Amino acid sequence: MASIRELTSLRETLAAERRSKRGTIILCGDTGCEASGSHLLADAIRKELAERGLEDSVELRVTGCHGFCEVGPVMVVEPGNIFYCHVSANDAGEIVSATIERGQVVERLLYADPVSGKRVIKEEHVPFYRAQDRVLLGRNKLVSPSSIEDYIAEGGYSSLAKVLEEMTPEQVIGETKASGLRGRGGGGFPTGRKWESCRAAEGEPKYVICNADEGDPGAYMDRSLLEGNPHAVLEGMLIGAYAIGARHGYVYVRNEYPMALESAKVAVVQAEDLGLLGDNILGSGFSFDVKIARGAGAFVCGESTALMASLEGKVGEPRPKDVHTVEEGLRNKPSTLNNVETWANVPLIIEKGSAWFAGKGTEKSKGTKIFALTGRVKNTGLVEVEMGTPLRTLIYDIGGGAADGVGVKAVQTGGPSGGCLPTSKFDLPVDFETLAEAGSMVGSGGMVVMDERTCMVDVAKYFLNFLLDESCGKCFPCRVGIDRMLEIVTDITEGRGSPEQIALLEDLAETVSETSLCALGKTAANPVISTLRYFRDEYEAHINDKRCPAGVCRELIEYWIDEEKCTGCGACLRACPHRAISGEKEGPHTIDAATCVKCGICHDECQFDAVVIR
Amino acid sequence: MEEYVHITLDGAKVPVPKGTTVLDAALSYGICIPHLCHVPYLTPIGVCRLCIVELIENGRAKVTTSCTLDAKEGMVIRTNSEKIRNLRRKLAELLVAEAPNSRAVQDLAARCGVTEVRYPFRNHDCVLCGRCVRVCEEVWQARALGFVGRGKARRVEFPFGVKPDFCKECNTCIDLCPMTITPCPGPMKTGEEYLCAQCASQVSMAENMPDTCVLCDLGQGFQCARQTGQV
Repeated sequence: MASIRELTSLRETLAAERRSKRGTIILCGDTGCEASGSHLLADAIRKELAERGLEDSVELRVTGCHGFCEVGPVMVVEPGNIFYCHVSANDAGEIVSATIERGQVVERLLYADPVSGKRVIKEEHVPFYRAQDRVLLGRNKLVSPSSIEDYIAEGGYSSLAKVLEEMTPEQVIGETKASGLRGRGGGGFPTGRKWESCRAAEGEPKYVICNADEGDPGAYMDRSLLEGNPHAVLEGMLIGAYAIGARHGYVYVRNEYPMALESAKVAVVQAEDLGLLGDNILGSGFSFDVKIARGAGAFVCGESTALMASLEGKVGEPRPKDVHTVEEGLRNKPSTLNNVETWANVPLIIEKGSAWFAGKGTEKSKGTKIFALTGRVKNTGLVEVEMGTPLRTLIYDIGGGAADGVGVKAVQTGGPSGGCLPTSKFDLPVDFETLAEAGSMVGSGGMVVMDERTCMVDVAKYFLNFLLDESCGKCFPCRVGIDRMLEIVTDITEGRGSPEQIALLEDLAETVSETSLCALGKTAANPVISTLRYFRDEYEAHINDKRCPAGVCRELIEYWIDEEKCTGCGACLRACPHRAISGEKEGPHTIDAATCVKCGICHDECQFDAVVIR
Repeated sequence: MEEYVHITLDGAKVPVPKGTTVLDAALSYGICIPHLCHVPYLTPIGVCRLCIVELIENGRAKVTTSCTLDAKEGMVIRTNSEKIRNLRRKLAELLVAEAPNSRAVQDLAARCGVTEVRYPFRNHDCVLCGRCVRVCEEVWQARALGFVGRGKARRVEFPFGVKPDFCKECNTCIDLCPMTITPCPGPMKTGEEYLCAQCASQVSMAENMPDTCVLCDLGQGFQCARQTGQV
């Protein structure tokens, strides 16, 4: 395509073709649903449509993540917005014959409201979706990730056309600044200001980088966006590059995301073929190309300077940021690095205007944010809410509350660099400043819900272990400080703790967070600081009473059989791999504490709750 | 003619040649900021973090390493605030617990006011300051040494663990290594956590005259700016 007019006419042709379809089956084909067999289902539906001669009039669209991974594979049938969950390949025939051909709803595949038990027909009425504002994620449903035609038919690349035709780079930056968009990768730096300083910086060529090296445990927002709607990210980068005056772009994807990598690669090739990437884009004189780079599995490479070092082919280690990357970044040239979600927001801001975007959210945090809701909560999955939504709405209204009747105790936000917030803080609105003040952070959007069976000291230990593994080891406080914190926390969980160690831990946490070289080290102490702040009683119970209140820390607990509840069924006796349980059949059993290794198998096996932890 | 910029160092407005780092500027004015990984003629990497200072920007103080910070016109630096002294002491405490058998590290710890160590000693023989790696690469262009591994497993190693034939056997790596200086027999053995007289006098000097360069005995090969004639 050599002009904007050609793009518009292509869009009209594609949209007309779409309108001519009788119905559409939108099936989630993302990692989560594929693991539950959505690829088999897709084959079955394709076969079924072919047998009935419907393959031309009904479209099967295998898309990126819909968000509700808990009940996958999920599908939506249009027209009617009918939502089916837990669909398997055996249901293909019924869906095609009943819903597509006769317009009837397959009752048993509908989502049942967990409270009322009532079946919900439309996707928009499912409680999980109802409280959300799915500006970005909602678009996953509209396009097949491997089809640029889908994206164009849905209005894609019209923001790029608008920018090239009507706006100067300064206007684009002005619009981005006015929208109040802030970096979604964790830092929350105003995107427009970043672009402005990069545009003003001296040096050619300038670079634009998309950070898709998402590594937080339990977080997968960026993966789903890149897998589901890669062209939105590319379009955002194109607009950013135009604003900054950049000639080259990189998408840095971690190699552990094969689907995201593939979909980004396909998208770049498609955009190049249509002339949306390359020289003289749409006849505007603006040229820009994008390369895909694979990350080699280092968490620290999500840090901007480490990522750039890795792109240059060096060891992925951060460098001091006394000179900002917008002035001297990749190959010492001005570079703008933004996260996947940030880039994906850009076309929307241009399309709908900065006022629309700034109308959402709180005073300082605008727009929507995607969170990966995981842990001990009923509805796990990806959720997108307006900034400023209370944590409570996220966890109870959307997440459906505690998974199996045990009360929710805390939520860990922001990944390993974030902190744990107790239930008393659940009314806090989710925005950058409020969460930071409370000792946690929005971060890239991980949200792990924990219930009463979670030991907060153990949680701190888990994150310290993760960070120790992922620290690059370059600077001293991060490498040794985390190690020492882990040493102390391990002492505490294994019953060797002493009261002075809490003060020492706080001292260490301060040193590490103040003096480390990069953001990984500067935030590494957050899990410790926040658990010490809100769950100090648990630390004290471990140290003073040598007791783990949640019954998690193996060295501090003991398994014991309640004789009144024990029916003598012998299930625990047979399951115990160490033969630590003895007792006559039908009589009460006992555990020999000296032989017991506290593996917990008997506790899981017992159907009468007779095995208790104390 | 050499260009100068003006920075405020601990309240005194001073001119320093353009392109100088804040650490070098401070040392040239006789303000001794403790440092370990810094060697005047090598690229700064800012890994030991001992040379931290407070950079005052827009009314906020930011902690950063002075060896990687280029002096810019109008910069306001505090090298010796209460906060910096505290952080430095805690860093030095961590450092000496890692390598209690290095004279250089012992002296640094004493210089930073460490009087007790709350961590169990570890007796490592390398603190990964990277002096050897940098001198090998930058001065001799030999690249016979490099960092291997990540995080806790990071170590200095020959390529593939074998001494390569392009090692020039110049021994500069050993000269620069802070671990090669014979340790002071006095301070901080496990079980007897008190300072010998020499270290105690250093600590009191550091406390009484915090801005002055105490002759910290960093050893012959262990080059401080003072030994290289920068002062």
